[in-house]
Amino acid sequence: MNILNPFFLFGALALAIPVLIHMVRREKSEIVQFSSLMFLLRVPKAAIRQQILKNLLLLILRLLIIAFLVGAFARPYFTQETSQDATAGENRGTVLLIDNSYSMRYGTNFERTKSEAGQRIDAMAAGDQMGVIAFNDKATVLAMPTSDKNALKAAIDTLEPSYAGTKYYEAFTLADRLFGQLAGRQKQLVMISDFQRNGWNRSSRESMIGTDVAIEAVDLGLDNSTNVGIDNAAVDAMSFSRTYAGRVVARIHNHRKDQSVTVPVSVSINEREAGKRTVEVPPNSTTLAEFTGFDLPLGFSKGRIRLDTQDPLPTDNDFLFTIDRREKLSVLVIDSGRRNQSFFLRQAYTSAVELPYQLKIIQAQNATAQEVANHQVVIVNDVPRLSDSIRDRMDELRKTGQGQLIILGDQADAGWWNGFAKLPVRLTQKIFVGKDRGQPFYSVTSYVRNHPIFAPFEKASTLGLNTAQFLAYAEVEPKEGSTVLAKFENGSPAIIESSDADRGLLVFSSTVDNRWNDLPLKPSFLPLFHEMVTYLSRYSEVRGWYALGEGIPVTGGLEAAAAAVINPDGGRQALGDLGPGQQRFFSPEAPGFYEVRIGPDSKMVAVNSPSAEGNLERMPPDDLFASVKRTQGETQQAGLFTEDSAEEYARQQMTWWYLLLIALLAGIAEIYIANRRTYETKRGTAS
Amino acid sequence: MSTPVVDRPANRFIDPKVLMKIQNLELLARAVVEGFVSGLHRSPYLGFSVDFAEYRQYMPGDDLRRIDWNVYSRSDKLYIKLYEGETNTRVLILLDVSGSMNYGSGEVKKIDYARILAAVLTYFSYHQRDGVGLLTFDTEVRAHIPASRRSGQLINILKTIENVVPSQTTEFKKPLRYLAELLKRRGIIVLISDLYDEPENIIAGLKALRSKGNDIIVFHIMDDFELNFPFDEAAQFEDLETKRKMHVIPDYLRTKYLEILEDHMATIRKELAGARIDYVLMNTSKPLDLGLFTYLAARAKTQ
Repeated sequence: MNILNPFFLFGALALAIPVLIHMVRREKSEIVQFSSLMFLLRVPKAAIRQQILKNLLLLILRLLIIAFLVGAFARPYFTQETSQDATAGENRGTVLLIDNSYSMRYGTNFERTKSEAGQRIDAMAAGDQMGVIAFNDKATVLAMPTSDKNALKAAIDTLEPSYAGTKYYEAFTLADRLFGQLAGRQKQLVMISDFQRNGWNRSSRESMIGTDVAIEAVDLGLDNSTNVGIDNAAVDAMSFSRTYAGRVVARIHNHRKDQSVTVPVSVSINEREAGKRTVEVPPNSTTLAEFTGFDLPLGFSKGRIRLDTQDPLPTDNDFLFTIDRREKLSVLVIDSGRRNQSFFLRQAYTSAVELPYQLKIIQAQNATAQEVANHQVVIVNDVPRLSDSIRDRMDELRKTGQGQLIILGDQADAGWWNGFAKLPVRLTQKIFVGKDRGQPFYSVTSYVRNHPIFAPFEKASTLGLNTAQFLAYAEVEPKEGSTVLAKFENGSPAIIESSDADRGLLVFSSTVDNRWNDLPLKPSFLPLFHEMVTYLSRYSEVRGWYALGEGIPVTGGLEAAAAAVINPDGGRQALGDLGPGQQRFFSPEAPGFYEVRIGPDSKMVAVNSPSAEGNLERMPPDDLFASVKRTQGETQQAGLFTEDSAEEYARQQMTWWYLLLIALLAGIAEIYIANRRTYETKRGTAS
Repeated sequence: MSTPVVDRPANRFIDPKVLMKIQNLELLARAVVEGFVSGLHRSPYLGFSVDFAEYRQYMPGDDLRRIDWNVYSRSDKLYIKLYEGETNTRVLILLDVSGSMNYGSGEVKKIDYARILAAVLTYFSYHQRDGVGLLTFDTEVRAHIPASRRSGQLINILKTIENVVPSQTTEFKKPLRYLAELLKRRGIIVLISDLYDEPENIIAGLKALRSKGNDIIVFHIMDDFELNFPFDEAAQFEDLETKRKMHVIPDYLRTKYLEILEDHMATIRKELAGARIDYVLMNTSKPLDLGLFTYLAARAKTQ
């Protein structure tokens, strides 16, 4: 058994405290004169003995609590005696730490790494053992400690540089565990790395490497790297026009400290060059390169920004992104034909070219079921009634993903609309706030804050729904299953959503023509009606690119479907069946374009290497080792390490938990007995 | 006998802590008695305490037999003769001066309390024209002043009370037997003691006195710490009588001690009640009223 925090064992001195108190008090017991011992002498000895026993039990329990707490905090753990212990002596036990992070692709670094590792293996004497760990932002054991040189070389041969970042801490932690298996040997740690400063992001103050370990650094780092790379890029990932109106801005970083570089930067869309320019980047600084105005086909396009340079780390010269060109959302507004009835709606959806909406306005009497079916979102703007065929068609279209917004105002025929079975409300009467409620106006004062249609109001504190004044509204009663998303100040529903079983229908219980309210004149009108239509169309934003290591969300569509990811190398990675709206994440392991397929739909995702790896600034190995090497007195971590070590390691360290549990149980017993004693004493005093 | 209790706040004449400051025992007794009796004029116990005779004009309804005809013959007016005090009672105070009486948890020791009580009763009885006597004892009779109304008797008794020094153990058998042989006339016997002896020894002696027609009042003087045993620190307890020591952890012993004490007191109380002897438990942290009332009630019975 070993102990992780031996300093806590000093806490065991606390065991002496109760005993000392007892002794001191006994020594110092004063003489009290009392009238007569006549009655005290008659107290039966058995009664005293019983009390003494109870107190002794309490003392033991208290000592046990302290002992177990001290034990638990000292964190004992058990190790299995390894066979190597028998061969203790002058044999060496080496752990080889090999950096295979993305930065090791610099120049010939990785080949040098392999050759250095090979030399260390060749130098092993008979009886020496070596374990090999490869690390990037994770650490893995390539070979458990062994004397078999061939096995070690085979493990090194399989090693490839990764695209992941660097984290030293995990590597040292793992190395320390391997040393647990090399007890009794001369311990040696050999670390082959470029010693990138970015990798030293330790989150723990714990030191990992024992004082008995000799450390050797094989430093492949450079004090002044000649790398130029793309750090980051801002991409407007969606376009609603053939000519790209957004911007692709790349940030180019020159990591050289002594001279500026001039590099040609080009952008290509679907492997065809779409723009090119040359930028000059000052030493150790960044410059932006901006591209726009190129043509895009419909759907996802694969974009690539490329630096035309011959630096030793080519991976960060490419930066991948995607742009999704979509058709605009087709929105149909059906109104009753009253003059300017849909004026504000038209303004809201078409006032700017870049708005992703295509609007058509027709009168109710001209509307056909076919026309309604041709649009992604239908807004029924305060009409007395619709034809029954259109109503029934709308019920069907919702099931295929169409969104519908019903505006109920002064023209709505309550009788007809109440006959619309799927409408999530029942229209009771039209309320004129001044006349019927005796107030000048009502405001919308409460809304469901986490609903997507109110997202702009949650983000911006200056934007408020409550600024609009409602002089009249259609009083409605929500039907069972529907959700009231916004309410007027008297609690009457203002925006209602249909039930989950019949998704895609919103009801707004006032007009949008500036007659019943001044909402269209308020800043809140535009974001509210944009968000409502966006929400109804089930429109989803896309991101231009992800960084390696991020989880990429995959969200189910309208119906359950199988999801899969096609890797850049063409390999297929199944994600299983996704229910409607269900979300899963996948983590890519290499940069490139990934195709995400959900049923018949597919989308493209661009993944780039972590940009921090491009910064090759080196930290002196001695600084690194000084901060991971234990000072005298600190103990080693768990010794045993096997293939299924994670569970095993956790199990070995569970002892403290049991000790804590026993201390807790002893504490409960102590409280019970002490309370009983106090109760008995009090009862005695009272009587 | 029911024990009347008067709870008057700040009755400074009866509070033993205040009385302790008066050095002269006679002065102290007078202060108590006068304060107490003048207090009683407002109380419902008027009627058996005064020995002063006075006249009051006859009122219709008064008993004709109580008219003083001598006064009528001289003054030609009808006067009623109220209370002509009679003194034919002898009061003997038995004061326990054993070592245990020297105990006191606060300012007032049991012996001080007993002294004040004895002095007050002596003074009171003397001025009632009763014959007063005193007997102090521990294992033996230490002093005995037979009951009398001679002049100088009061001073004599008070001086004796003042000079008692508690020591020795307690034993009731011998002193009570001595007293039973000695007493020829019946009267009131007041025993002031902490009763640290076996109940049968106490009861047997008192019963013998009672059988001779004496009215007996037992004042059981106990300290608050003896009654409740509120000690919490472990300590060596030393017996004030035998000087014996015992290591005591109060928490262990309290319950049993209180049980044994209660048993002792209950036995005494029960036996005394059976012999029609008045028993009053006096807690030295409480005022003296209770003792005086009990005494007055007992004396009223003998009138």
